[in-house]
Amino acid sequence: MKSTLNSIISKQKWLPIALANMVFAALLAIVSPVFLTLSNFQSMLIQSGVTAIMAIGMTFIIITAGIDISMGAILFFCSALFAQLLQDTQSYWLAFSAAIACATLLGTINGVLVTRFKISPLITTLATYSIYRGMAIHLTGAQNIPVPREMGFLGNGKLFGLPVPIILLIVIFILGVYLLNHTRLGLYAKAIGSSARSANESNLPVTKVTVAVYAIGGMVTGISALILLARVGGLQSGIGIGIEFTVIAAVILGGTKLTGGSGTIVGSVFGAFFLVLIDNGLNLVNASPYIYDIVRGSVLLAAVAVDRLSAKRQESRLIQIKKQRLEHNHATN
Amino acid sequence: MKKLLALLFSLTFVMNSATAAEKITIGLAVDQLFESRVAENDAIKDEAAKRGYSVIEVVADGDAQTQNQQIQSLITQGVKAILVCAVDQNTIERALMAADRAGIAIVAYDRSLAKSRVVDTFVGPDSLADGRLAGAYTAKQLAKVKGEKVIVELIGALNDQNGIDRSKGFREAIEGLDNVKLIEVPTDWDSARALSGTQNAFQANPIVHSVFAATDTHIPSVETVLTDLGKLKPAGTDGHVVITGINGSLDGYQATSKGIADGIVVMNLDKIGRTAVDLAEKLINGETVERRNVVSGNFYTTDNIQQHKDAIWGAK
Repeated sequence: MKSTLNSIISKQKWLPIALANMVFAALLAIVSPVFLTLSNFQSMLIQSGVTAIMAIGMTFIIITAGIDISMGAILFFCSALFAQLLQDTQSYWLAFSAAIACATLLGTINGVLVTRFKISPLITTLATYSIYRGMAIHLTGAQNIPVPREMGFLGNGKLFGLPVPIILLIVIFILGVYLLNHTRLGLYAKAIGSSARSANESNLPVTKVTVAVYAIGGMVTGISALILLARVGGLQSGIGIGIEFTVIAAVILGGTKLTGGSGTIVGSVFGAFFLVLIDNGLNLVNASPYIYDIVRGSVLLAAVAVDRLSAKRQESRLIQIKKQRLEHNHATN
Repeated sequence: MKKLLALLFSLTFVMNSATAAEKITIGLAVDQLFESRVAENDAIKDEAAKRGYSVIEVVADGDAQTQNQQIQSLITQGVKAILVCAVDQNTIERALMAADRAGIAIVAYDRSLAKSRVVDTFVGPDSLADGRLAGAYTAKQLAKVKGEKVIVELIGALNDQNGIDRSKGFREAIEGLDNVKLIEVPTDWDSARALSGTQNAFQANPIVHSVFAATDTHIPSVETVLTDLGKLKPAGTDGHVVITGINGSLDGYQATSKGIADGIVVMNLDKIGRTAVDLAEKLINGETVERRNVVSGNFYTTDNIQQHKDAIWGAK
C-alpha cells in the first residue's frame, strides 16, 4: 500500500501540492464560513491567473534547468509599452500586438544569450532584468499611465459566464500541457534538463529548444502583463517587479525540480493557486500584516524540504535496488 | 605665435576656474524612480537651476548599498550639499558621516532620517497629518452607520515611515467611531498586492463601509474589485463604499473626479522639493535652519477637486 502510494506520488509530481491545496482549503472552510462560496473561489482563481500563466512559461524554462529572473521586468516593460502606445495612438490592436510581440522578443533574447554565450541563465537574466527594467523606466519617465476602463474587459469582463482571466488561464493551461507532454518540444526540454551534455551528444536541437522555451516564457508574461494592467487600472512604476520570485515559488511548490529534467504544468498551476490560498486564508482570519511574508516563506521552505527529503529517499531506494541486483547477479554467476 | 597660444590657454583656464568657482554643485541621491518621486525631483532641479546651481543626480534603484557608494562618489565630486531620499538609514549612515566630515550640508527629503547623527535638516510630507485628514473625513461619513463599521486599510510598506505615519494618523482620527472593524491589508506599495488583498478582504467581509488607501494609486484596484462584485456605486448614492487615499496622483484625481473615490489628500511635492533646495542654500551659507520641516497636504473631495486641478501634481 505504502509503496503503491510512493509510486503514484513519484509519477504524479503535482499530487502533493494538490493534496496540500485540499488540506489547506478544508482547514479554511472550518475556520471561515465565507471560504466555501462560489464568489470566493472565483476571486481566488482570478487572483492566481497572472501568476499561474507566468508559472506555465517558467515551468518550461526550469525543466530545461534554466531560470528567468527577468520575467517581472518583461512584464513591466510590456505593460509600459502597451500603456504608452495606447495613450499615443488610441489603437488597441497596435498596442496589444506590439506588447505581446515585444514580450516574446525579450524572452527570445534571453534564450539566445543563454545558449550563445553559455553564461548561467541566472546571471544572464539578472542582467536582462536590469536592462528591461531600465528600458521601461526610460520609456515612461517613471510616470503612471492610466488605461481606459474598457480595457478592464481583459481583467474583469466575462465570456460564456466565465471571467476572461480564467478563460485565458484555461486556454494557456491546455496548450501548455499539450506542448509539454505531447510534442517533441516538451520531450526535448526534459531531455536537456536531465543532461544537456547527453542531449547535445544525441544531436537534439538544444539551442532551438532552449530559445523556444524562453520565448514561450516571454510570450505568456506578455499576456499576464495585459491582464494585470487591466485589473490594476493602469501602469505604475515598478509593476510586476519581484513577481518572478512568486512565479518560481509556484513552480517549485508544484514539484518541478530547480535542477531541471522533470516537472508538470498542472503542479505549477496548483502551486500558484496554493500561494493565493495562503493569502486568502490569512486575510479571512484577519491575520496581522507582519506575518504574511513569514508564513509564505515558511510554506515554501517546507515544500522544498519535503521535496529534497523525498528525492533523497528515492535516491537511496534506487541505490538499494541497484545493490540488490548486483548481489543477485553475483550470486547467479 | 607661441606666446599668443599660451596667452589664450591661460585666459581660458582662468575663465574656466572662475566659472567653476562660482557654480555650486548639489548632489541629489534618490532612492528610486516612481511618479511622485520624479515630481519631487523635478521641483528640486527646477529650483536649483533658478538659483544657479548645477545638480548631479544619482538613483539607487532601491538598493541601499548602491546608494552608499553613490554618496561616496558625490563627496569625491566635490558637491557642497547632498539632498538625500534614503533607501535605508543604517546602510548609508557611514557615507553621510563622511560627507559631514567633508563639510557637506546634508538635507534629507521626503523620508526622514530621524536617528541620523549627521543629517542637518529634513523636509517632507506631514504624513501623520495627511492620515488624520483622510481619517477625519471617513469618521464623519461613517458616523451615521449603525452597528459594526467595517474599514479596509490598504497599508503601504511596513518599513516605510511615511506609510506608518499615514496609517497612524488615519487610526487616530477614526478613534472616535465606535464598533469599528479594521481590516489591515499589506500592499508594500504594490498595486497587484493591493488588488488581491482588497479582493480577499471583500470576500471575508461581504459588507465593507470604507476603504483607505495609503496611496491613491491603489484606488483603481479597489474600483476593479467593486466592479467585479457589482458594488461600484458613485459617491452620494446608496450602497456607496467611502474611499479615501493619500498622494495626489492622476489615478487619485480621476477616481475622485468621477465620484468613485470620495476624496484624496494631495501632497505638496513642489513645495517639498523647493524647500529642500532652500534649506541646502541656507546651510551652505552657514545659516541655521529648523531640524524638521514638514509640509501638510490638502484634502480635496468629489465636490471641489476639479477646481483645484492646478494644485494636484499628478493632474498637471
